Amino acid sequence: MRVVTGVVGNDVHVVANRLIEISLKERGFDVYNLGVNTYLEEFLDALIETDAELLLISSLNGEAEGWCRNLKALKSKYNFRSNPLFVIGGNLGVGEMDPDALIPKFKAYGFDLVYHQKDLNESLDEVEEVLKQRIEV
Amino acid sequence: MKIQNMPKVLFDVGSTYFKVYEEGQISHYFRDFTIPIYQDLKNKCHKTIESHTPEEIWICSSANGGLSTLIIGSSHSFSLKYTVNTAFNSGINIIDTMLYSDIDTANPPIEKIDVVIITGGIDGVKDIFDSRLFEYLKKVTYNHIVYAGSKDNIEYLSNHIENLVILDNILDNRLKINEKALKQYLTDLYQKDIMAREDIKPLYQITANQIYPTPYIVNLSLPYISESLDVADPFIVIDIGGATTDIHYSTDLINDNITGEGGYDRLVFKKLGVYKSRESLIFTAKRNEYVYELLNYLGVTEDIFDSNSKEAVKFLMQLAIFLVLYKVSRHHGEYIELKLDILNSVVLTGGISKVLSEEDAVIIVKFFYKKLLNFHNTPDIVIDRNYEIWTYGMKHLHKKDKT
Ligand code: B12
Repeated sequence: MRVVTGVVGNDVHVVANRLIEISLKERGFDVYNLGVNTYLEEFLDALIETDAELLLISSLNGEAEGWCRNLKALKSKYNFRSNPLFVIGGNLGVGEMDPDALIPKFKAYGFDLVYHQKDLNESLDEVEEVLKQRIEV
Repeated sequence: MKIQNMPKVLFDVGSTYFKVYEEGQISHYFRDFTIPIYQDLKNKCHKTIESHTPEEIWICSSANGGLSTLIIGSSHSFSLKYTVNTAFNSGINIIDTMLYSDIDTANPPIEKIDVVIITGGIDGVKDIFDSRLFEYLKKVTYNHIVYAGSKDNIEYLSNHIENLVILDNILDNRLKINEKALKQYLTDLYQKDIMAREDIKPLYQITANQIYPTPYIVNLSLPYISESLDVADPFIVIDIGGATTDIHYSTDLINDNITGEGGYDRLVFKKLGVYKSRESLIFTAKRNEYVYELLNYLGVTEDIFDSNSKEAVKFLMQLAIFLVLYKVSRHHGEYIELKLDILNSVVLTGGISKVLSEEDAVIIVKFFYKKLLNFHNTPDIVIDRNYEIWTYGMKHLHKKDKT
């Protein structure tokens, strides 16, 4: 199964990105890693070019909201053949905020699964589970 | 691999003049338009030509005005971007693009296209194209058509498009650029086009070697520039000509996923020349938000746009430098964005190197850096006074594999 991953916006935190690539490969995914500093359009373009079933975006520096707010509008311009699952994780909030409010907020932006400061492996187990269910459906 | 003869004489045959390199010396000649290029060359350089074998003579040329392409791709960030980049680096000047998802609303180009390039998808991706592509292509007039996309669409496309040439996918299986096959195809096509031009054909009487596109040669020259000119990486080369302005830049200057083989890329501004496309240069300048400040800064008035004085030509060249920097800066989203803040040198070549003084060039670059980037340090300006940059690449050509 193909997955596109990377760090969104002007975000240079690379450590998680490397770990995610390694974990995904170990789990048997075919990984297209766009690396740090990736714009949302580039992620969606990569889905078109690869027909990946999963998009896994990281954001660590607190700018996720600004970069992902327009995901829905952007998605509507694309015609994805693979019906990809949209996932985001990392540090999704900044300063004083209600972490519980982040999940519905990012879901409203157009993500299917949202992980704010969650354990990577547990989260990826869940992602795989959801992908499996989708295939069965 | 066959090692070619060391080149002894180099010619660059342009549309307005030609240059000759021999024993470390470069001479320039304005073209005599009343006679064919070959005759002109023989009249002016008969001694040089007669005293060398065709194996020792190497020629590059831009006299055919370049080829035109229409590129159809499935995304801006990958297939289209990589293909446009490869086409520019292969010496193509005129590039039209169409994002495949826009096919229902896109207008086919009116002019005849030399080569249509279709691309999209990594290998393994199917069903990118459908019958709308064939309907669209019926409305395009073209000479050649190639496919450089996912292997899994080859059969479908070949069954529906006559004379489709199949090349390696421009996207490799990691979504990185794989430009070799397309680059080779386009440079060969350029050569064939040059060979077919009535005025160029006879040049093969004086050379036994392939005639290369000049922009391709300039691109090859860039890694060797610092051996001869005082240039520090990262740098850009601005080649301001009569019809177009080219910019060649170190790929260190882009935040990007493209890493081609040379480390240098080329971009063409087809409407920013100072002679043939003077009108469009002025048109672009007049619409630029900084133009009045710029006029003021240079101490000239708007009347200069209508003047034909020497002063005006100099001004147009400064304007071209400014607009090129503007178009690759963060102020302009349409083109590639270069990290101008880390730029060390700006090399100026082309007709400009004969007209503009160091001072004229520094002034305009300073204005740009101060006004638009709020920077007090500007990159060094290096003017290719001898107009010799093209020779660096030519001298290395013979080392390339010849198969
Ligand atoms: C190292 C570091 C840097 C280095 C980065 C070097 C590099 N190239 O990687 C430097 C110094 C450059 C840096 C810069 C900045 N940083 Co910093 N940085 C850190 C630091 C100390 C460690 C990050 C790290 O590598 N962690 C190790 C990795 C493995 O963990 P991780 O990144 O958290 O990722 C894990 C999970 O988040 C998760 N995960 C990540 N992505 C995803 C995606 C999915 C789908 C899932 C399920 C899980 C998941 O899995 C990973 C593995 O467990 C953190 C603080 C911290 N202790 O976390 C701050 C931190 C990330 N930085 C922060 C900030 C604010 C900045 C700056 C803006 C500072 C500034 N004002 O200049 C800049 C931003 C620059 C930019 N443009 O991006 C903040 C972010 C605050 C926020 N989001 O609310 C943090 C949290 C520090 C803080 N507490 O304030 N930083």
